[in-house]
Amino acid sequence: MAKIELINVTKRFGKLTALKNVNLEIEDKEFFVLFGPAGAGKTTILNNIAGIQIPDEGVIKINGEIVNQIDPANRNVAMVFENYALYPNRTVYDNIASPLRSPKHKKDENYIKGAVTKAAALMKIDMLLDRLPSQLSNGQRQRVALGRALVRDPNVFLMDEPLAHLDAKLRNLMRGELKEMQHNFATTSIYVTHDFMEAMSLADRIAIIDEGEIIQVGISEEIYYMPKNQFVAQLMGDPEINLLSCDLVENGTGFTCLWAAAPDNPIQLPEDEELFSRIRTLENKKVNVGIRPQNVHYSFEPVEGAIEGTVYSFETIGNKSVLTAQVKDAHVRIIAPNGLVLKLDQPVYITFDISRVIVFDADTHEYIGRYDESEVMKLVNEHRGESFTRAGENHG
Amino acid sequence: MTARKRLTAILQNGGLAIYAVFALFPLLWMFILTFKSDAEMLTTTFVFTPTLVNYQQVFFHSDYLRYIKDSFIVSTGAVLISVLAGVPAAYAFARYNFKKKETIAFQILSFKFAPEILVVLPLYMLYRQMGLYDTYLGLIWVYQLISMPLIIWVVRGYFEDISVEIEHAAQVDGYPWWQIFFKVLLPLIKPGLVSSALLCFIFAWNSFTFPLLLAGIKIEPITVAATKYLAQSTVHYGQMAVAATCSALPSIIFAIAIQKHLVRGLSFGAVKG
Repeated sequence: MAKIELINVTKRFGKLTALKNVNLEIEDKEFFVLFGPAGAGKTTILNNIAGIQIPDEGVIKINGEIVNQIDPANRNVAMVFENYALYPNRTVYDNIASPLRSPKHKKDENYIKGAVTKAAALMKIDMLLDRLPSQLSNGQRQRVALGRALVRDPNVFLMDEPLAHLDAKLRNLMRGELKEMQHNFATTSIYVTHDFMEAMSLADRIAIIDEGEIIQVGISEEIYYMPKNQFVAQLMGDPEINLLSCDLVENGTGFTCLWAAAPDNPIQLPEDEELFSRIRTLENKKVNVGIRPQNVHYSFEPVEGAIEGTVYSFETIGNKSVLTAQVKDAHVRIIAPNGLVLKLDQPVYITFDISRVIVFDADTHEYIGRYDESEVMKLVNEHRGESFTRAGENHG
Repeated sequence: MTARKRLTAILQNGGLAIYAVFALFPLLWMFILTFKSDAEMLTTTFVFTPTLVNYQQVFFHSDYLRYIKDSFIVSTGAVLISVLAGVPAAYAFARYNFKKKETIAFQILSFKFAPEILVVLPLYMLYRQMGLYDTYLGLIWVYQLISMPLIIWVVRGYFEDISVEIEHAAQVDGYPWWQIFFKVLLPLIKPGLVSSALLCFIFAWNSFTFPLLLAGIKIEPITVAATKYLAQSTVHYGQMAVAATCSALPSIIFAIAIQKHLVRGLSFGAVKG
């Protein structure tokens, strides 16, 4: 039960700067997800909060108290390590009981027995209590590591990819359980993942991290619909967002978009005063238009205004498929139903649902604007309000 | 089982048996010598009248037990100090990065490279000057050349096999550093620590050159003292055989004990792998 703050935190390892001036404020009882590619600095942030590493600059506060000088044992945090870090010479039971036997969190053996049994049942490892870690599968070890963290009542749970090694079915199940548990325990949780589905479904708020810097912090809708730059847009979404490199030409009141791959098919941008005024401030009017695969439409017959391309690949991913169309050098990913019968390199005609696009500056890759931004903002504010009332309820 | 397999088994076991006889025969012969009188020593091989007079002489009419005590004190002392100083050093080599780390580690290992006889004369001069000559402390100190490198290098390997996250996990679990060391790390390095410490004990016990030149008047480890049975005029082979056999016993017992502890892979399964 704690609020966590990182203020101007910088961490270096030799010449490498792992964290660059990181500022984060994690609310009490919040489920906060750190999301980013491998090597972004997610684990370093957890280690700094836990006290395993100490920042070179900046301060870390737990409940308003600066904890830079407090060692991990006295910070009352629970952590799940990515490589599990179980005690190899102790049984599953003793591993889970370990925090409760430490001088800091000492409990009597009766209490420990109840707590361990409960945590093990929660993690569905109650039949494994007498085994050694070497006798477990990776997924089971990971659940033991989770159990060891959940057995006590810390200020904050720090979880470093705790579901990464579970099979898909168990992962989905545990994802639900974790969310439920966090809601019931009402404990602040910081969760590291590189799985976008996990981030979207679990998080109250998400922080996107790249190369030691916080790129964007927000609720999942905000980050999905209004990504701060192309990097975030590409990270959030599977299949990845399409980025069309376009020149914008002003004609009368609006803009026409000339896609580099199909300059003969100008696309008229629908009127949006806010978006247009931001585009006008651009000097060279070069933008990347981001469009999600579900907003691209295809046809195998010529359609008025459609751009002609060829079928590059067709992959089935579960209940839907990804059709990749090639237009000159550019590839466009399109969501399609399963079971399409098609030949590679056959012609395909694509049209864009242009009123759903996100516009990025082609030079800086920063977000310029999107259609219906005010609508999206309204939605985001509603959801944000929701997650805050939820946190508020837990207070009571 | 086919005839062919049986034949291979017979040949293999026969070969091993021949090797065992070859390896153990000197020990056996020495053991036989302990029961011979000086008169029969060189005349017969297996047929003789057994006698316990050699044992009697060695245990009751010489300082044999004092020599054993000296050997025991210097060997145990050397191993204790090597363990107390070597384990923290091994931890530092395994966990911390400092300038010239590998150079220093290699330097420590290189203490074992030079033949003892090469360094023992300058050491003799120094020991005379410093008053360490013929003292327990002096021998224990010089035995660090034998035991410390071994302990540091073996235990370092064990520490490196333990994922650092296990220590972090223990910190987060609420343990202070000394409990992490004794409760978490020590059980994991135990096989390496025990076997290297026992090996060091054997090496220190068997050491001859150092005690020969750096001690030998007040303090006489058994290896040096055993030569006393080669007197100027007479050679008491029987007594010497008793002394040698009995002083080899600790080495043999420890060698058997090590085998039990040479279990590796205890840290298996701790981390993702």
